[in-house]
Amino acid sequence: MSALVRISRAIEEPVLVLRMELFRILAPLFVLGFMSRRFVHADEWVGDSGFRVPPLGGDWRQPLYVPALPAWAAWGLAAAMVASGLAVSLGIRTRASALVFAATLVFVALSDRLAAFTVSKISPVLMIAIAIGPSGTRLGFDAWRRRRAGGTRPRKARSIGPVRFLQVFLPVFYSSSGIAKAKGDWLTTPHLLWTHLHDTYQTSVSFFLASITPGWAFNLLQALVLAFEIGAPLWFALRATRTLAFAFGMLLHLMIALMFGPVVWFGCLMMTALASAYMPETWFSPLERLASQTENRKRGAHGSGGTDAT
Amino acid sequence: MTPAPWKGRGTWAARLFAALYLLGVWLEGVGWGAPFHAALPQWMVFFTQVSALFPHAAQFSIDYRAEGYVCEAGEWRELDTRPYFPIDENDKENRFQRVLFFYRKQKAVLNAVDQFLVDRHNGGGRDDGIPPDRRIGGVRLLSIRSPLPEIGAPLVRVHRVPLAEIPEKERKIWFSTPGGAISQRCFGKRPRGVRPRGEPFGIDPSNDEHLVDPGPSDEPRDRTKDDSP
Repeated sequence: MSALVRISRAIEEPVLVLRMELFRILAPLFVLGFMSRRFVHADEWVGDSGFRVPPLGGDWRQPLYVPALPAWAAWGLAAAMVASGLAVSLGIRTRASALVFAATLVFVALSDRLAAFTVSKISPVLMIAIAIGPSGTRLGFDAWRRRRAGGTRPRKARSIGPVRFLQVFLPVFYSSSGIAKAKGDWLTTPHLLWTHLHDTYQTSVSFFLASITPGWAFNLLQALVLAFEIGAPLWFALRATRTLAFAFGMLLHLMIALMFGPVVWFGCLMMTALASAYMPETWFSPLERLASQTENRKRGAHGSGGTDAT
Repeated sequence: MTPAPWKGRGTWAARLFAALYLLGVWLEGVGWGAPFHAALPQWMVFFTQVSALFPHAAQFSIDYRAEGYVCEAGEWRELDTRPYFPIDENDKENRFQRVLFFYRKQKAVLNAVDQFLVDRHNGGGRDDGIPPDRRIGGVRLLSIRSPLPEIGAPLVRVHRVPLAEIPEKERKIWFSTPGGAISQRCFGKRPRGVRPRGEPFGIDPSNDEHLVDPGPSDEPRDRTKDDSP
């Protein structure tokens, strides 16, 4: 069997559709949460009311010069971003909404480098993944409309490339992050985590933990984070360590969300990606019950379908 | 309905795109992104520069501030930039903080910041710490590099301290509006060599070398790394 065929079969192995649905519902909300502090000042953010970095002609910090929008267009863009992001989360015209949302995210990331961070850069790709996948087929407005129209009962599991993408994206992200840390100061500087707790990212949680945590604990955490990130491809590939890696990743992002002020949205987005990609199947049971009940109720009310075993 | 062969090609195209993206993310993170830089436009590579987060230890707690030259009083006073950069006004994701983080050695950008702040203050309307009826003729842009506390020492919550209370040794001036520009904004055109009342001492109006020599200490150490997720 050729490598391509084997890869193809691995990708096409069925996974729970609810994995995609969980990601489709939560991820746009966290991206919008991150953007909310920006789009409430849309005219200053991508419009002509705020400061604009002048064109620098090929400077590495300015990947593309995008002129400021007039205020009305900036507000229009912000409205389109919010409307399309909410539509994705609610499952309204999911694919089209996800593509529009992704387009607005690409534009703002390039338009204002100053307000662009990791969330700004990964979210367009994640929204394209939502657009490609079977998003909105089980929960949400599109699924409801399809049921009302008497459509067939949606499958619970199927081949979903975007879920496989998330499952690879996370270890790739972590391992490159870990190697960057190892090439930086993480192997040579003790108490490195401590040094990042004293700037304007500080929250009451990080202040409290910095006040009570002994120095050795910072070194232990530094080693654990580094080992988790560098070894992530292995931890997530092996069945024996997968759930532990999932739990560690969730805890890591929870602490990041609690301890680094505005980074809360990044933490939540990564937790959503982790849960959608690697949460054990049995943990989806409550969501599965909800989806099944909704599907049965609607079918009963309109007298169509309802013959599939649950 | 899309014919099966085309659907199959679309699927493989999506897989190829995903694989290239993931490869780009990994290579950029570990610092081997040169092949991608050579092959792809910069704006596309930008979307793969996501994973190298916090690779270095912080040396200081860094904050960026501004002062305005008050024409009437002939003195520098702290200019609160937050009303003019309202997004994330109290943390380092603020756009003023970011513009100094990225561009504090870029004359063209700092000149633009100078012009923007002077125009906004003199346009009036927002409380920036200098009364709106007092014109400013220029700005100084500084970084504040506060030492980190020792582990175990009593901590104080991070809070904004007025510039006047920050020791001189923790301040570093990266940009100062040239004296000539200040004079012109404050007092209009004048003959060369004549110093009007209130012009800042020690600034040669004809000297446009207003970029103060920056030290290496709060320079981003790697061009792909933001240090902020």
